[in-house]
Amino acid sequence: MDDLQFRRAIYADPNNQSDETIAAQQNDASKKQFAQDICQLDEKILQALQVPVPEGLSEKLILRQTLANHQVHKRKTRVHLALAASVAIVGGLMLNFMQFSSAYSNLGDYALAHVYHEQGVFANNTDNQVTLASLNKKMSTFDGNFSKTVGKLISADYCRFDGMKSLHLVYQGVTNPVTVFIVPKNEQLTFSSTFNDKKLFGRSMEFNHSNIIVVADRNESLGEWQKNISETVSWSI
Amino acid sequence: MMTKQVRYEALVKALHGDLYRYAYWLCHEKQVAEDLVQETFLRAWRALDSLKDEKAAKSWLITILRRENARRFERKRFDMSEYEEATITDTQSVTTEQQLENHWLREKISQLPPEYSEPLILQVLGGFSGEDIATMLDLNKNTVMTRLFRARNQLKEALEAEPVKRGMYNG
Repeated sequence: MDDLQFRRAIYADPNNQSDETIAAQQNDASKKQFAQDICQLDEKILQALQVPVPEGLSEKLILRQTLANHQVHKRKTRVHLALAASVAIVGGLMLNFMQFSSAYSNLGDYALAHVYHEQGVFANNTDNQVTLASLNKKMSTFDGNFSKTVGKLISADYCRFDGMKSLHLVYQGVTNPVTVFIVPKNEQLTFSSTFNDKKLFGRSMEFNHSNIIVVADRNESLGEWQKNISETVSWSI
Repeated sequence: MMTKQVRYEALVKALHGDLYRYAYWLCHEKQVAEDLVQETFLRAWRALDSLKDEKAAKSWLITILRRENARRFERKRFDMSEYEEATITDTQSVTTEQQLENHWLREKISQLPPEYSEPLILQVLGGFSGEDIATMLDLNKNTVMTRLFRARNQLKEALEAEPVKRGMYNG
């Protein structure tokens, strides 16, 4: 290792403990002296670099972190609170929506479900007969009037048609009762003029303030029923 | 949460001195150095989870501090004027010969170009190897070694050129 290389190595790192530099120092007293000089210089540099650290700096650092952390914490709890509130509101809305909205989206589905629900209640061959007068009394709630009976009326009662007060009429049919609903118009249920499933068929008629829905099985002529009803019913304004 | 706090406090206690000194030699101003250290530790707190190896803590903190220092210059470029010798703070009253020499040497170190003084400080004060310094400063190792050589060389020459008697003489 020549002198220049040695000097460079020692200058770059006085504590250089590589085999080469150690060997070089052992072989040459002046190199050893030089290395010692530079080590001394390094000692001085280290002394000079040790500027005093301000008192209480570590405490200050910890304090500052604690304060910053506290603020973050506070902000976080506020966010959490807001989040919880939002969830509660959404939950409330959902509950509201589910409880007070109809499960059926159109008139026909609801009418079919309603008829199935009351299937066993009315027998086709019952002796019950409702007079035209009592029917018209009930019809007055809907501002409607029948000029004559369109068939043998077994039952006429108010009922809840998807939460709306409506009139539920049951006529004697060919084999099974024919159900007629008089329902006030409502925007929740979309109007469906004809609907059916495997057993029952239905038709709806739209009037000014009400819909009249006829549901019957396949043995009935719905057209006939519709025609009879629309010819006999009249609406006062 | 608690363990993070404990880790942080241990980190502060063990390394705030080294970090402050390093900051001081980067910016040569006590107050700025303190601010830099505060900012560094605050960032360190936020990112403490990313520090996996405690042994690397010092170089990790120094890397944050250097970035923080660079940001300081981005913020206010106009403040980049060369400092005057007079503004280098006399950190202690001159009493003993040793302190006198320290003070003199401090000035000389301050006058080194930063690209020379920084590796020197990292090596002497931080105890980092040439490789460590190279990764920290994003240089290759040979460059670092050359700069260390030049830094010491300049200081040695300055020392040798110094008059035997220093100080102020009155009368």
